[in-house]
Formats: sequence, C-alpha cells, structure tokens
Amino acid sequence: MTLLAINWPHVWFVTILGFALVLALLVVLIYVLKLFGVIMHPRVKVENPQEVHAAVGAPRKENSEHITLTGEATAAIAMALHLYYNGIHDEEPTQVTIKKVERKYSPWNSKLYGMNNLHRN
Amino acid sequence: MWTDILEFFQKMGFMQMGADFMGVGWQQLVMLFVSFFLLYLAIKKQYEPLLLLPIAFGMLLTNLPGANMFHQELWSAFLDPSSPTYHSYGAILKEGGLLDVLYIGVKAGVYPCLIFIGVGAMTDFGPLIANPKSLLLGAAAQIGIFVTFLCANAMGFTEAEAGSIGIIGGADGPTSIFLTSKLAPHLLGPIAIAAYSYMALVPVIQPPIMRLLTTKEERAIKMKQLRAVSKTEKIIFPIMVSTIVALILPDAAPLIGCLMLGNLMKECGVVDRLSKTAQNELMNIVVIFLGLSVGATATGASFLNWQTLMILAMGIIAFGLGSGGGVLLAKLMNLFSKDKINPLIGSAGVSAVPMAARVSQQVGQEENPGNFLLMHAMGPNVAGVIGSAVAAGILLTMLG
Repeated sequence: MTLLAINWPHVWFVTILGFALVLALLVVLIYVLKLFGVIMHPRVKVENPQEVHAAVGAPRKENSEHITLTGEATAAIAMALHLYYNGIHDEEPTQVTIKKVERKYSPWNSKLYGMNNLHRN
Repeated sequence: MWTDILEFFQKMGFMQMGADFMGVGWQQLVMLFVSFFLLYLAIKKQYEPLLLLPIAFGMLLTNLPGANMFHQELWSAFLDPSSPTYHSYGAILKEGGLLDVLYIGVKAGVYPCLIFIGVGAMTDFGPLIANPKSLLLGAAAQIGIFVTFLCANAMGFTEAEAGSIGIIGGADGPTSIFLTSKLAPHLLGPIAIAAYSYMALVPVIQPPIMRLLTTKEERAIKMKQLRAVSKTEKIIFPIMVSTIVALILPDAAPLIGCLMLGNLMKECGVVDRLSKTAQNELMNIVVIFLGLSVGATATGASFLNWQTLMILAMGIIAFGLGSGGGVLLAKLMNLFSKDKINPLIGSAGVSAVPMAARVSQQVGQEENPGNFLLMHAMGPNVAGVIGSAVAAGILLTMLG
C-alpha cells in the first residue's frame, strides 16, 4: 500500500537525472581541466621508460626542458631531498651529552642548614 | 528545610529518569549506554575520534534527564508552520540550552561549510589536475547515493528523507549534515552517526568489495607517473571550479565555494596565516561545535526506532555501492584507454579523504609491493569530495 503511494515517476526522474547531472557536470570539468592543462603546459615532460631505452646511444638532445624521469628515480630523489632538508641522516653529532654531575657545596643543599635538620638540645 | 531537601532530590536526574522510566526514562538510559559505547570506540579503538568523541559526548549530555541542554520540542516547533515560533531563532535563543544555541550553526548550514574551508586548505588537488579523468571515477562513486535514494523510497521514506539517507553513500560527513539539515533535519542524528561510522570503517568495508570486483592482475597494474602541476594551475583551479560549478548548480555553491576558498588560501601562498587558521584552529573549533550539536540531536525518542536501523542498513549499502561503482568504472575505462588504470583507485572515488586513498594503496601493495597507488588514488578521492558536494546540490535543487 505504501509502495503505491510513492510518486515513482518522480523518484525515477530524480535518480536518473540526478546521477546523469553529476556525471555531466564532472565530464564538463574534465574537458575544462584538459584544456587548462594544454594552456598551462608543464615544463617537465615524463617519457615512457621503454622509449628512453630505445634512445640510448642516440645523440643527446640539447633541450633543457626535456627531462626524463621514471617513477623510481623521482621517488629516490624525493627521499634524498627529504633526508637532506629535514636533517634526517645516520651521522651522529659526535657531542658527548652525558655530563659529569658535580655537587658543589652551597648553603642551599647543606645538611647543616636544611629544613629537616632538627635542632637537638 | 525538609521541603528544600525533598525538592533537591526531586530535581536529581536519577529521580527524573525513574519517575518516567516506562515513558522516556528507559530510552534515555539506553542512549546513555550507546554514548558510552561510542566513547569507547572513539578512545580505545580510535574510530574517527576527532568527531566521534564530541558526537558521543553530545549524545551523553542531551540524554541526561533534567540537564535541559537540548530541547527537541523547541526544534519541532521551529519546523512546524502552525507554531507561533516557526523559524524563530529568537525563541531558541530565549528558551534553549547550550546545545540548542550551538545547533543553530548546523540548522543554518554554517558548520559544514566552515569545515569545508578547512578541508580545502588541507587538500592537494594536484593529482586531480594532473589526471582529470579521475573526475569520472569520483562521479561513478556517487551512484551509491542515487541507488540508495531509490531503495529508501521503496522502503517508505519520503523523497526528502531518502535523499538525506542516500547522501551517506558520498562518505562525506559535512555534506551529509549539510543536506540532511536542509531536507530532513529530524534524521540528522542517525544520518550523521551512520556517515561518520562508515567513514571510520572504510578500511574494513572497502577491501572485500575491491577484491571481489577485481582480478589479481588488475590489482597489480602499475600506473604511469603523473605529470608535474605548476603553482599557477593550482591557484587557478579553485577559482575556475567554483565559478563553473556555481554557475551550473547554484545550490552546490556553499559547499564547493567554501572548499575552493580554503584551497585557494593554501595554494596562493600569500595568506599563510589564514590558511593555517583554517587548517587548525577554525577546523578544530567547528568540529567541537558540530560534533556536540549533532550528538545532541540523538535523543532517545528520535534515535531508538526502526528508522535508525533502516538508515544504518541503507547507509552501508550506499557506501558499498559507491565503492563498487568506482571500481567497475575504472575497469570499463581500461577497455578504452591506452594507459591502464589500476581499478583499485576507483573505490577512492567515495570521499573519505584520505582514508579511501590509503586503502587503495594498501590493497594494491598486497599484490605488488613495489606499486605506489597513493597519489593516483588521491585524484578520484578529491574528485569524490567535489562529486558528493555536486550530488548534494542536485538533490537540494530537486527535493528542497
């Protein structure tokens, strides 16, 4: 009885049109972003590693904007920079941090003048 | 003197609970135990503790008899067109308790938007800009919202209630609260708790779905490295997205606008103080207010009914469908795409930033320890935030 009371055409309309609109709006954004990427062309181009191997032995191109980096190389460089800039390394500072504890005499640590030094008659 | 003592005893919470134990007393007692359980989950198990702890404590405070910190009846009158205090914040300020006053921020839709400023300030849209196709995965993951909307209607909920239940599938707490406060405020407590509980359970819910829908070879796919994204692109992106989305879908403007404002503050680099405030102080203060006031709506009468159980059940369906939708679309894209996509990143299309992306990374590394999917998964993950905010705007336009 409850099912009959539901406005099914409207429910289906909201379901299908709603999802279609989400999809359509995000597809619009994809094309806008792609266009955006073309306009704001990045300086670093990443090549397929197979093409790089094929190019070994060929005369090196004198193009400073044409840098080839594989994922592993990028990760290694990033890790090295991270270690360098954050000072995370294995070297010890070679400073002795354990200092000799000296108990110099002072009236403030003297037994003679201590608060617990009861006066005996 | 004896009269004063008697009066004191009568005002005690224990006495009030006992006096009407068969009415609301038992419900309050059960809710107190529910709040203790949620506090246990937040503190001991660390399930989304930043939110679950204030929500559970709000639940505890609101169910203490005689504390008068939250008045459900005031908010019922606020929503009743025949009431003299219909839409009267003045009446709330005059007669309400502390949690009523804090709840005004939820009702007016302020807290979710402020949280989105903080989320934006902590989000890097670089992976999405580098790989715009991620937006498709973010869109596919929203299918859970709309299928659950259909199911909730079939189970007898009104269209507005069904839309609020469906948005749980977006796995985005602030968006769920924003939409529910507009469409079905009486369901705010169960929906917020369901949304945050499932977000906390992402590492438990998603991996079985991901493994079920993918083969071993698909899970081991290594993806091409993302291109570098310039600072200028990152600065223009939030301005561009806000403008386009708000012009197409004005109802999504509060959420998307705030998300992108936070991101612009982070990326432009000239308002570091504002960016840090949005990421830390603002975010933390609003989380306390939001958590407490959402927890306060979980009174015994509104929480202990069959509707809550249905919402919890449908929430997990919505979440599972969203995760599965993203994975399946990634597989479909592989049929037409030259550069293969690891389908595991599709499940990150539900928001739950960055937990869902981390799950993609972990499941991917189980098959291939040298595979790093995290940055690839961050694309659909942040696309999911945009997608769920857009879905909320669409539901608000159609059902509001």
